[in-house]
Formats: sequence, structure tokens, C-alpha cells
Amino acid sequence: MSAALDDTDRAESIRMIRDSAAAVAPPGGDLKRVRALRFTDPGYDRGTLRQMGEMGWIGLRVPEERGGAGLGMGEACALAEALGAGLAPEPLIPCALSAGLLAALDSAGPLDALLAGETVALTAWQERADTLDAPGTADAPRRFVPMASGADTFLVPVREGGKLALYAQPASGADVAIERTQDGGNLGTLRPNIGGAEKLAGDAEAALAAALDEAALATGAYLLGVMERAFAMTTDYLKTRQQFGRIIGTFQALQHRAADLSMQIALTRASVEAAAASLDAGATGDARRAVVSRAKARAAEASMLVTRGCVQLSGGIGYTDDYDVGLYLRKAMVLANQYGSAALHRRRFMALVPESDE
Amino acid sequence: MDAIAVPQPQELDGLDDEVFRQVVRQFLRDNYPEDLRNPPKRLHWDENKVWYHKLAEKGWLCPGWPKEHGGLGLSPAKQIILSEEYERHGVARTNDHGIVMLGPLVIRYGTEEQKQRFLPKILTGEHVWCQGYSEPNAGSDLAALRTEAVLDGDHYVVNGQKTWTTLATDANWIFLLVRTDKQAKKQEGISFLLVDMKSPGITVRPIINLELHDEFCEVFFDNVRVPKENLVGQPNKGWDMAKALLGFERIFIGAPRQSAYALSRLRTLADRMGVWDEADFQDRYARLRLDLEDLKALYGVYVAKLKRGEQLGPDVSMLKVIQTELFQRITDTMLEIGGENAGLLEPMEGNRDLNIGGLFIQARPATIYGGSNEIQRNILSKNVLGLPG
Ligand SMILES: Cc1cc2nc3c(=O)[nH]c(=O)nc-3n(C[C@H](O)[C@H](O)[C@H](O)COP(=O)(O)OP(=O)(O)OC[C@H]3O[C@@H](n4cnc5c(N)ncnc54)[C@H](O)[C@@H]3O)c2cc1C
Repeated sequence: MSAALDDTDRAESIRMIRDSAAAVAPPGGDLKRVRALRFTDPGYDRGTLRQMGEMGWIGLRVPEERGGAGLGMGEACALAEALGAGLAPEPLIPCALSAGLLAALDSAGPLDALLAGETVALTAWQERADTLDAPGTADAPRRFVPMASGADTFLVPVREGGKLALYAQPASGADVAIERTQDGGNLGTLRPNIGGAEKLAGDAEAALAAALDEAALATGAYLLGVMERAFAMTTDYLKTRQQFGRIIGTFQALQHRAADLSMQIALTRASVEAAAASLDAGATGDARRAVVSRAKARAAEASMLVTRGCVQLSGGIGYTDDYDVGLYLRKAMVLANQYGSAALHRRRFMALVPESDE
Repeated sequence: MDAIAVPQPQELDGLDDEVFRQVVRQFLRDNYPEDLRNPPKRLHWDENKVWYHKLAEKGWLCPGWPKEHGGLGLSPAKQIILSEEYERHGVARTNDHGIVMLGPLVIRYGTEEQKQRFLPKILTGEHVWCQGYSEPNAGSDLAALRTEAVLDGDHYVVNGQKTWTTLATDANWIFLLVRTDKQAKKQEGISFLLVDMKSPGITVRPIINLELHDEFCEVFFDNVRVPKENLVGQPNKGWDMAKALLGFERIFIGAPRQSAYALSRLRTLADRMGVWDEADFQDRYARLRLDLEDLKALYGVYVAKLKRGEQLGPDVSMLKVIQTELFQRITDTMLEIGGENAGLLEPMEGNRDLNIGGLFIQARPATIYGGSNEIQRNILSKNVLGLPG
């Protein structure tokens, strides 16, 4: 298992993941594919998702004995970061969440097909905005299911007795309302029909909480990629655009602004990587949740600061749809609050790690 | 609610302020088209001309213009009340470049003939104006503009390109800054020219903006012939006039309108999200609200100066910075409390008042247009504070 890898092997493993990510999101590659998929259904490419499955990405964190790659959170974050830099719209994080959930249960349901990228199984757990709690109210609409328009199966947690059971409901025939998002993707609202669903497990509470935390951290890593790439484009622009007979990057006001943004990116990287390392070192319980919250809070806030700042530094062209910086801003708008807003994670962190007087 | 009588436009200026506020409310109830309340995006002429024509017909179109030119001649206080009430009612912005920018410029610098020729047509809506200043390589450095106008007999021949021209597809007239002397220092070879958009040689190409809306445009000029009497002021003196107009633009953008609107939306969203109980949110909201109140007070100071006939100094830049950054902070807050709804493309729950992402995006360019906030800060530090450099 990954935690047993030593540091050198670890770095090598992460490097390999970054290299393989280039197949889908080439570094500095153009965003034609991403643009063409915006505001379509399902909003991503099934072929690419299958490719992600074949490369073992959907089950990156799933133990080998359950058909996954058994890699660590360090690798998962490196991958998410690379995909964020390329704005890959495929729902890798939501699919990995479902895979992590299923792999932790005895009855795996659609796990194999999900890992292969053949079946898109999305976990429909959320009943209101900005929460990490899954109350499991049987008939409550499940909100904000990411990229729901392409789902084959919904995994629906339902409270039974004191426990959170898990059901699999086929998407065909399900009552799903789709709303488009700023990045060209979509969010779904499912009105569950447990009568027609298959019960997979009687107690999925702990598995769901753990999977949600990993999804939150991976989203933080994706946002890290988003802000890094937008910022790289912007510093390039600052080095070429001229006004007043000078390169605008020579204006100290802009230099300071860029320096400020770069510090936020550095903090985000440090926070995300520290959280991933902590999970890989076996952190559990409150300690695990706290590092995840710290990283997601930082990533959510910094990604908005950075992408907003990039639009500003670009001037008028930054306000056009043709210019790619805007795509990064729109992605951050959608992901900043997914799996918990910055405020939610700050609150959770403080509750988990009370100040001590020492 | 009992209806109250709406007096003639010439009498509005003389009303008690509170009575005036009630009159504006009545006027909007009587006249404002219900389906145009709080549009999620800036409306095109086709959509908002009903309202423009209604304002024109009632004589309410130009609140700030002097009465002798067909305006309402309103006091600063009343102009603020008017814009507050428009905001409260969800009144859409019209194609207002003629009203807000060109009209005041012609009143101040135009010949009698130009006043006769252009002002009435703004008042009737026959002329819809757009502003052709920026070029691909002349944005912040506006004086670097290269679109040139060469005198040929009784006409100027215009060649070049403007960009980011808001609502150029709707306009039938454009006011341009053009280079008329290539030898002079860059600020001293610029003239102010009024151009009929139907003239041969003009091509307009819409640009899709971050709102996914075709609001601004590129405008190309290929040997466009413009009668020389369409030049306002003296040849090569356009820069100073344009700078004076930038003062109008800054006070217009510095008006509390956008922030007041956004704050009311934040209120609605906070109700919907149930966050009023959170101490953190209460404090953030209070801060934004006080910022808005203080902005209104500062705005009042500038409007009063204008009313006394004083020139606005470079310090008006602060109004633009304060307003636009407040507008952005309010919409940032909306995004932060909106949860996953903040990422939706359409207003949340189909409610135009809960257009989180849309309003957030609309707030982005406010710190870029009308002279970017970096440029305004340069002006404040150099021209107001007198810092060297
Ligand atoms: C929505 C929108 C509507 C517009 N409508 C119109 C219109 O109707 N008519 C019209 O003529 N123009 C219009 N504009 C253009 C607007 O005036 C310009 O975008 C603006 O002046 C900035 O110029 P630019 O886009 O070339 O950016 P640049 O000047 O290239 O600026 C890029 C960045 O560099 C910064 N910068 C530049 N110089 C300095 C400096 N000396 N010190 C510090 N920082 C600096 C800027 O602040 C910005 O962050 C509009 C723009 C927008 C976004």
C-alpha cells in the first residue's frame, strides 16, 4: 500500500501520474476540446472518461484487491491538479468518490464497471447547499449532483433505523432535473425512488464521510491546477502586453499584485500537499478531517482570488469569452463551494481543532 | 397604495425631496414595463427602447441636463433619490451613452448648431450613441490611439479600429477620439468626432463577453467620410474635452447604483440561504452596508460640486475605485454564501433576484472599464497626493 512507499519511490510515483495526466490534459495544451464540450450533454466525453478508467484513475485510491490501483492521496492530488490545469470536464472526482464508497462496502454493486469508466455512478447524497452532512431523508430531493446529466446510476444514501443504508438507483427512468453551470457543466437534482432501487449496504455512513473528505481534498488540488494555469497565462501576458510604451509587467502595482497571487498559490500547494501526505501517513478521525478542511478552505478562497485577479490583470481582453482566463474563473466559481465552501471548512476546522492554551 | 399625482417634468426639481421620492415611485408604478424589471443581463436596444421612449415621452430621460436643453435639472440630492428608486424598482439600464456622456459634452463644448442638431435627437431616442475610444493597443494608454482622421475638403476620412465598444450593434451614432495630427505630442493631436454609423466603410463585429453576452464590439473604419462640422471643439483639442468627459464617466460609475442593487440582492440571498443568524455574516453584511452609506455620502459631495458648476478634479477617481470595489466585494460575498448555487449559469430557482453567478461576473469589468482601478490609483497618488514619479 502507498503509505509503505519511501520518499523517493513516492516522488517517482507522483511524477508518473503527472506524466500520464498529460494524455488527457497536456500541459499548456489548448482548450479546444474543453470549449467544444461546454454547455452540451453530458458536458464531457464518455470516451475520455473510459480512458481515465483504463489508466486506473477512477480507482486510483481503491485497494488493489478491489480492482483499484491502490495509490495514495499524494498521487490523487497530483492527478487532480493536472486535470484542473487542463480544465478536464470529466467527472473524475465524483466517480472516484463513488468508487471509494463502494470499495469500502461488502457488496460492491457497480464497482467494476465504474472503475473501468464504463458506468457512471454518482453519489446523490446532498440535501441542501453547502454541507458535508448526508441526513439520508428517504424522499428528500438530492441536490447538486455534479455532471448528473451523464449518469447511469445514482448511489443514494437513506437513513434506516440509526444507520445510513446505500441504494443504487438506475438513472434511466429516474426523476432528474438538470441545471447548467457557469463552466459549461451541469448539476442535477434527483428525486429518489427507493422502491425501484437495489440496496447495496446497510451501513455506509463512515465510508461516505471518508469518501467525501477525499473528494473535498481532490477538489482543492483541482483548484490548485486551475489557479496555477490561469496565473501562468497571466504572467505571460504581463510580460508581453505593452501600454505607455512599456511592458505592463514593469508597473510596480501589477508586480505586487502578481506577487500577492503567487503567495496564495504557494500556500494552497503547501496546504494541499501537507493534507495529502497526512492522509497517506494514515491520519484518521478528526486529524484527517481537519487537514482536509484546511486545504479546501485555502483552495476555495485562493482560487477565487487568483482567477479574479487574473481577469483584472488582463484588462478588457480578460472579460471576453474567447480569452481562456475566463474559463478558469468560471471553473473556480463552480468548484470553490463544491464539497464545502471555504467558510464551512473554516468552521469545521475550528470545531475539530479547538485552540489550546499551550 | 393611494396613487399620487405626478407633476410636470419642469416642476420636479422644485419638490420637497421626500415628496419627490414618492413621485418617482408612482411614476415607475405607472410607467415601467413589468417584464423589464431586474433583467439578468444588460438589455439591447430592441428590448429596452420601450422604456427609453416612455422616458422620452414623459420628459424624464435626462435628469442631470439643464432644463433649457430638455433635462430635468435635478439637484444632486434628487438625482441620488432617482437612482435609488430606479434601483429599488429594478429598472434596466438603457443605452445611455448619449444621455450620460455625449449630451453633457455637447452642452459644454458644442456649437449652437451642434446643440440644435444633436441634443433633441438624444431626447427623442432617434440617435442612439456608443463610445469609440479604446483600441487594441490603446486601452489604459488611451492617448496612444491610432485611428486617424485626415481632412479632405469638407470631410474627414477616418481609418482604423476601435474595440470594446459597448452596445455598438445597437447604436446609430458613435463619438470617436481620432488622431488628426501625427506629428504633435500624442495628447495634442487628438480630436473629438461624431460619426453616423450608417456611413459607408464602417463594420461592427460583436464580441462575446464573460457573461456570454454580445454586449461589446469591435468597430472598423475603412475610408469613412465624416462632414467636418461633426468635429466638436477645436481640432487637436479633443483630449482635454475627453478628459473632462472621463470625469462625468467616473462620477457616473462612482454612483452608488450598482452597489445598492447588489446589496439588495445579497439581502435576498441571505434570506434564502438562512445565514442571518451567523455572527460572521452579520458583521460582513454590516460592513458592506456601512460602506454603501458612506459611499452615498461621498457621492453626494461630488454631485454637489457639479451642481455648483465646479470642475471635478482628479480626486473624483476615488469615487470610481470605491464604488466598483464595493460592488465586487458584495458579489464576492454572494458567491461565498451561495454554496453550490453560486456556480449555476441561470438565476437560482428561476428567481431573477437570485442571479449569483451572473451578478458576480457583471461586477468583474467595473474595475477595468472607465479607466482601470490601477490607473485611478495612479491618478490619486500622483495628481492628488503629489507623490513623485
Ligand atoms: C465591459 C467593458 C466595456 C467597455 N466599454 C467601452 C466602450 O464603450 N468604449 C470604449 O472606448 N472602451 C470601452 N471599454 C474599454 C476600457 O476602457 C478598457 O478596457 C480599459 O481602458 C483598459 O484597457 P485595456 O483593456 O487595453 O487593458 P490594458 O490597458 O492593457 O491593461 C491591462 C492591465 O494593466 C494595467 N495597467 C495598464 N497600465 C498601467 C499602469 N500605468 N500602471 C498600473 N497598471 C496598469 C491595467 O489596469 C490592467 O490591469 C470597455 C471595457 C470593458 C471591460
